[in-house]
Amino acid sequence: MQESSVIAAGPPSPWSERWRVWRNWLGSLRFALVNLLLLFAGVWVVYLELPGALWALVLPLASSALNLLVAIAVNGAFRRQLPLLAFHLALLAIVVLVALGRLTYLRGAVEIVDGGEFDGVLTTRDAGPWHAGRLAEVRFANLGFAIDYDPGLRRGQTRNEVAYRDADGAVVRTTIGDQTPLRLLGYRFYTSFNKGFAPSFVWHPAGGGEPAFGAVHLPSYPLNEYEQARDWEIPGTGIPIWTMLRFDEIVLDPDKTDQFKLPGRHDVVVRIGEQRWEMRPGMAVDLPAGRLQYVGVRGWMGYSVFYDWTVPWLLAAAVTAVLALGWHYWRKFAARPWNQAKDDGLSA
Amino acid sequence: MDYLLELKVLWAAIVAYVLGGVLAIVSVALGRRDERKILALMLAGLVLHTVSLGMRWERVGHGPFITLFEILSSNVWSLMLAFVVAYWRIPKIRASAAVVMPIMFVMMGWLMVAHPGEGHFPPTYHTPWLFIHIGLAKVFLGAVLVAVGLAGVILLRRAGIGLRRFATLPADERLEELAFRCLALGIIFDSLMLIAGAIWAQDAWGRYWAWDPLETWSFVTWLLLAVALHLRVTYRPAPARTAWMVMAVFVMAFLTFFGVPFISTSPHKGAV
Repeated sequence: MQESSVIAAGPPSPWSERWRVWRNWLGSLRFALVNLLLLFAGVWVVYLELPGALWALVLPLASSALNLLVAIAVNGAFRRQLPLLAFHLALLAIVVLVALGRLTYLRGAVEIVDGGEFDGVLTTRDAGPWHAGRLAEVRFANLGFAIDYDPGLRRGQTRNEVAYRDADGAVVRTTIGDQTPLRLLGYRFYTSFNKGFAPSFVWHPAGGGEPAFGAVHLPSYPLNEYEQARDWEIPGTGIPIWTMLRFDEIVLDPDKTDQFKLPGRHDVVVRIGEQRWEMRPGMAVDLPAGRLQYVGVRGWMGYSVFYDWTVPWLLAAAVTAVLALGWHYWRKFAARPWNQAKDDGLSA
Repeated sequence: MDYLLELKVLWAAIVAYVLGGVLAIVSVALGRRDERKILALMLAGLVLHTVSLGMRWERVGHGPFITLFEILSSNVWSLMLAFVVAYWRIPKIRASAAVVMPIMFVMMGWLMVAHPGEGHFPPTYHTPWLFIHIGLAKVFLGAVLVAVGLAGVILLRRAGIGLRRFATLPADERLEELAFRCLALGIIFDSLMLIAGAIWAQDAWGRYWAWDPLETWSFVTWLLLAVALHLRVTYRPAPARTAWMVMAVFVMAFLTFFGVPFISTSPHKGAV
């Protein structure tokens, strides 16, 4: 019976034979080794910042995915050994998820003054081509922050109070910080080391329109302690203005444990064209286009923003892979003690 | 005062380790069996070292993870612990101490010349994931160290060194099998270490991976470990070749754990 079926099937065609050889190679351990070595080389290309870093990773990862797919499909060992199958499926999932993550991620940054609200717009933004999140809908308010400092101006814990509306519209106040981001609609907002002082102004247009609020985010403090000045424009006017914050008190004492605080007695130097003013809180200057009033100094916090929906799935896949690999080795090693053979002694 | 006492206790621990190691080497060289004395000295070293680490932890308010001195000290402690467990639980491989202890001597010497001053504990280190991440890394390195001891014996015997002295150890094929199992244990804990590190990095710096020096070197070590295990399964190389692979993995892991923190201002980019 068996013999007749073989005769009926006939000899394998050169094409099917060639396909069989290729298939076996694509799903082989040898091809897996080649991919691991390529990935090894790719990592060095990325680390050394050589040209073509993206492709140096994408190609071995894509090749590894192909190897895993074919191996799972054709290698009988995977069907016989569930942990090995689970391990390779999890590895395949990791490769696919990393690729999807790179296509849909978002990284960015935004600075928000104390009392200000995030309006869905980032200052810097780097996103994958398929990113389709709901950042425009995200709103939260920065209610102020506190940062501890150890002697030597070594930054300690950051505690930033924020408020947002939950799904029911209720206002939620919470504290975020170094290990605790604010999570809204899949986006994570992390406090950063980037923060500083923001002299705040109100602009009253000469025509009687709505007053406009403006806060000048001076360079990060204490990193740029002696460069507390910046060019900006009066909101809605296009008038260029230069502002410098001056104070002579020690805001952060480098010799003792301290906390980030705003300068108390201070003034701001404002320059528009050839004109120059020294202003204290509450003072105002009259310009042809309107009145500029200095309100006082506030703090601003820089947030780094992160979005990647694949993260929890990647974690699940990675943990599955490790557990499956552990299970595989456990079964393999438990089946035979390492010193079971009787040829103990020198093997030379 | 505490500072000096802590260093004195550490010195006492190193003395105990060195005495144990020297006795292990002499025992192999002279064909003596001083295993109980060696184990006792190593255990005494571990107890003293634990006390010293505990005193420092109490004094500076954080674990030994920041300065080169702390990283070296905690790694000498964990590696000695891993090897003592192997030494105690697998009597057949005890002579491999003659290979392992000289490696430990190098690290102890480095520790003794490292500056024992304090470092700043960054705010992003205030997380349980730090302990999980580092603990898993130490198990990984300990497993690889035991494999190195076995691989060293294989290579020495292949070179015709200590054929008679290492005669009490099992055959090369058995040692190679045990070294392979150590590497398998190593990749499990190395993978878990990378996962725990990624969770920590996500919480602390807003990204789970950023190709910083330590992340990249760790991943390269993981890849080399994967290559070594794949090579062994694919080609079933002779024990000496597996032994060289074990050595390569250990060198890479050693460079990752001790080289990168040594040349980098902070072990992880953005750590401060």
